[in-house]
Amino acid sequence: METFSFNDGFLALCLFLAVVLPLVSCVLSFLTSDRYSWLIILNAPFLLMLATVFATIVTVSCWNSGGGIIELPWLTLSEAEISANIFVSQTSLLMMVVVLTVSFLVHVYSVGYMAGDANPRKYFGVLGLFTFAMLGIVLSDNLLVLFVFWELVGFSSYLLIGHWDEKPEAGNAATKAFLYNRIGDSAFLIGIMILWSGTGTLEISALRHQTFSWQTAAALCIFGGVIGKSAQFPLFTWLADAMEGPTPVSALIHAATMVAAGVYLLIRLHPVFTDTALMIVSIVGAITALSGSISALVQFDIKKVLAYSTISQLGLMIVTIGASGPQAAFLHLFTHAFFKACLFLSAGSVIHTLHQAHRRDHHHFDVQDLRNLGGLRKKLPVTFLTFVISGASLAGIPFFSGFLSKEAMYASALLNKDSFSILIFFALAAVSFVTVLYSFRLIWFIFFGDERSGGGTNLKESPVIMRVPMILLALCSTWPIVSLNPVGFSGWIAGEIAHPWWLTIFSVTWVGVALATAFFLFRKSPVASNAFVANGYGLDTAYRFLFRSSVDKLASIAEVTDRKVIDAVIHASAYGHVTLAHIIAWLDKFLVDGLVHVFSGTIRWIGSVARSYQSGKIQDYILYAILALIIFLIWLL
Amino acid sequence: MQNILSFLILIPLLGSLAALLIRPTQTSLFRWLALIAVTLQLILFIVLVSNYEAGGGFQFVEQRSWISLDLGSWGTLKADYFLGVDGMSLPLIGLAIFVMLIACISSWNGVTNPKGYFSLYLLLNAAVVGSFAALDFLLFYVFFEFMLLPMFFLIGIWGGSRREYASIKFFLYTLLGSILILIVMIGLYLSVNDPSGSGGLVHTFNMLHMSDPSNYISNTILDPNNIVTLGPFSARSWAFLFLFFGFAIKLPMVPLHTWLPDAHVEASTPVSVILAALLLKIGAYGMLRIAYPIFPEAALDFSVMVAVFAVISILYGALTAMASKDLKRMIAYSSVSHMGFVLLGLASGTTEGVTGAVYQMVSHGILSAMLFIIAGVLYDRTGDRLIRNYSGLAGKMPYFFAMVLIAFFASMGMPAFSGFIGELMIFLGAFKSNAHNGLIHESLAIIATLGLIFGAAYFLWAIQRMFFGTYDVKGNARNSILPDLNNREILMLFPLAVVTFIFGVYPQPLLDLINPFATDFVNHLLYQGRILSPHL
Repeated sequence: METFSFNDGFLALCLFLAVVLPLVSCVLSFLTSDRYSWLIILNAPFLLMLATVFATIVTVSCWNSGGGIIELPWLTLSEAEISANIFVSQTSLLMMVVVLTVSFLVHVYSVGYMAGDANPRKYFGVLGLFTFAMLGIVLSDNLLVLFVFWELVGFSSYLLIGHWDEKPEAGNAATKAFLYNRIGDSAFLIGIMILWSGTGTLEISALRHQTFSWQTAAALCIFGGVIGKSAQFPLFTWLADAMEGPTPVSALIHAATMVAAGVYLLIRLHPVFTDTALMIVSIVGAITALSGSISALVQFDIKKVLAYSTISQLGLMIVTIGASGPQAAFLHLFTHAFFKACLFLSAGSVIHTLHQAHRRDHHHFDVQDLRNLGGLRKKLPVTFLTFVISGASLAGIPFFSGFLSKEAMYASALLNKDSFSILIFFALAAVSFVTVLYSFRLIWFIFFGDERSGGGTNLKESPVIMRVPMILLALCSTWPIVSLNPVGFSGWIAGEIAHPWWLTIFSVTWVGVALATAFFLFRKSPVASNAFVANGYGLDTAYRFLFRSSVDKLASIAEVTDRKVIDAVIHASAYGHVTLAHIIAWLDKFLVDGLVHVFSGTIRWIGSVARSYQSGKIQDYILYAILALIIFLIWLL
Repeated sequence: MQNILSFLILIPLLGSLAALLIRPTQTSLFRWLALIAVTLQLILFIVLVSNYEAGGGFQFVEQRSWISLDLGSWGTLKADYFLGVDGMSLPLIGLAIFVMLIACISSWNGVTNPKGYFSLYLLLNAAVVGSFAALDFLLFYVFFEFMLLPMFFLIGIWGGSRREYASIKFFLYTLLGSILILIVMIGLYLSVNDPSGSGGLVHTFNMLHMSDPSNYISNTILDPNNIVTLGPFSARSWAFLFLFFGFAIKLPMVPLHTWLPDAHVEASTPVSVILAALLLKIGAYGMLRIAYPIFPEAALDFSVMVAVFAVISILYGALTAMASKDLKRMIAYSSVSHMGFVLLGLASGTTEGVTGAVYQMVSHGILSAMLFIIAGVLYDRTGDRLIRNYSGLAGKMPYFFAMVLIAFFASMGMPAFSGFIGELMIFLGAFKSNAHNGLIHESLAIIATLGLIFGAAYFLWAIQRMFFGTYDVKGNARNSILPDLNNREILMLFPLAVVTFIFGVYPQPLLDLINPFATDFVNHLLYQGRILSPHL
């Protein structure tokens, strides 16, 4: 890939600032002392706004320049170089703008939503870090550098999900999110190892043109990372739990950062994937899309409906990438970012207003439970409107952006006319149908019907600072964001994808049928929940049974081995040595010393015998002399 | 300038002697003495680094005749005072001085009998720096043994309730390793000739001569051209195994690691810091400097064994850490797991792997220092180390929580911190090994990635139990108040955090030091190893 250079130094500066300002916001937030923490709520959104403006300038000016690589060295080993090249293309620039826009709006919204939070420094600081990390993923061309930011996204999401640290569930959810991501990331790391060993390079722009051994394995390992980050089957349950974090964080995680990262990586790395790998990718995506949408249908918690809806929409994107290519998937990633952010912010607005009402009335119920809500359309007109617009976009109703991107996905599924593609097309259609059902159910039970909760008398619409981001995002959920033609998806983002003439008619009819079904199904009551489907198909229980308990068991076996086996051997040998030493000491005392005593005793006895003759009496000596003389005489004779 | 390494060793040694001359009643003088000594060392080290030229080979070499004995027909016994640094020992000496400085600050208050404590601390300091600088085997061995003595007393006198058990266990374990090393040292001494010696036979302890196969005296026991077989292996293989296991005790490698958790749990915070950050590195250093270069063919032969032990250490250490109820014990076992990565990088025999191994040594030195100080912060306040006795500390001690987050996430290999760079390179090297030099199979690297998941699991669970939820302390901690970090603790933790961050974001300067060493090391290992090996 050719190198890219800006024809204007100002543009390079803009790109630099767009990436770095969120990090500056992070650092400033942490440096500001507690006393001036009110400064942060001005400062952080302002820096993000600047970053968004700069990113837009770069994107607009470089839109038609063809793109390329900006070279940036990072580290050199003797044989190889790992660069931190920046990848500039329409895809990456557009993604950067989307990330920054959504993040900026979330920042603004958070000023209202998080007012009165105990720790705004940490909140806005990590939000800035989160945005920065996502920009790193979007712009880096080196898989290793991308992995660095990938992990950084995981870390900041950990902090954000666990922001309310007094809530034990928040800590649980944060740990779970990070661990599940870690499992995917280890696979990703193995993929990186295979690529490094096979090709000696980790630059995506160079990898796109290579074939190497173990390519399918490498692709699937990297897809393992995507499964973790983008919450695909079978690791998707962390995303539903991650709802314990503040709602604006959920909006950011679900729309533009974190889960979008996996899909984006898949789009970038698509040429590396072999046919077999792509087939597995689309199968996993299809399973996720179907199971996620069905699970969304039976949830009662507003945020959980939205979480499972994200899982299923991400599944759709991944099916599309696997089955036919990245273009349509990217379009859906783009539209999804706006309408899903809008949905979450609107849901947050509902939760926020009800919480405020609670605080005034001292009346408590679970405000996130659909069964407690209803009839809010009169009291929260703006929220109602933005919710309906973004919900319509999610459901794929004509004149909304979601309709167009879904149409693009249908079209690309029909591109290859083999039986597998037809199967994928049916899966897409089925998921779209269920999407309409749960979107309708969600809106119907929040805003229509009778008010089921008490205490709604003095409900007030959220403050302006929350309403404006919602309205802007709602505007971005309509068709002109994709193309000026409300029924043609080929606009300034996606090119034309050949598709049969009946496709538009089909999708409009299909949505109509789905809406009618939804109306008759949910007019009276939300269908009874199914615990198995609602709790992520028992996957968590299965993991707890299969892995958690077995790892725990292994851990305690290792711990016991340490104490009872290794240390026991050492203690035994120590006792053995001490015992041996005692035996030797005994032998020393009784055997060696005994012999010595016997020997010396003998000598002493001989000595004492000899001494007894030395009596010192002259008579004895004369006697001995005479005796000797007699013996001598006898011997002589 | 030329004697700068000698000064690095002499300063703490003289400090230690000076401490003996000061009256024990002047308690605050000892810590100032120690601080001044380490600060001087730090200044000298900065001079050393700024005069070091990146590239292979040894620099700042000092060689003086130390022992020279004429043994008649046996030749001459020769041991030199021989010092020098290369791209591996320079970062480790820097680490040693930095960690010693942190340990000095950590023992600033509340040490009983400071005279004994600080003189032993300075003696230990000299021995550690000396071990990293010595190029003569005998000299290295002297420094190596001299670490044992101060450490034994530092654990045994200033330790916790089971300190006697722990210190004796530590002493006996490491002494066993020393004996294995001593046997090989004598064998090498008998087999190696100094080529610079004029005519006659000169037995030498010079490590550089030992790693050149042409210096071996023919028909000696370790002569590579004269393969003496003892039982299943050749004498040189036995020698490698002796050295390997001797140093593996220090590393420590599973199953020779059980001295470590006991020593750590009983030792006071600064002693734990030195133990984990520095003494464990000597084990790996010995393998890199002695076992591998001197016996390259045996090293290649046993690389699968080494790698398997490495993977076992990684996983076993992580699993035991997961089952630990005591925070300090958990951290101690995490050291076992992290040092396993060093072994894996070494076994891979690739430039990436060896560079990563040395990088990981430096990184683990910094991170383990941080982790043990963190454990010490809590223990100082409450006298309780059990994880389950704490909850909800995040709101109560926000600065402490921030430091814990940095240390724990950096330890689990989070990018932007030094641990990631080391582990990543080790993984790249270990995976590449099979295709590149055929030493170890890819599956070992893949299994080792499980260690990353387990590592994340035990650190995250510890955070979740201790820092999330509502504030509550039980057990011994029941009646304690928990103030946030004080200035002295920030002074220790903050520089460590900054250093691990710098090495994680901008690793190039450190890599420029290590990489030439690693290239030479791998070339020597593969080239000589293949020549000498009978069946490769």
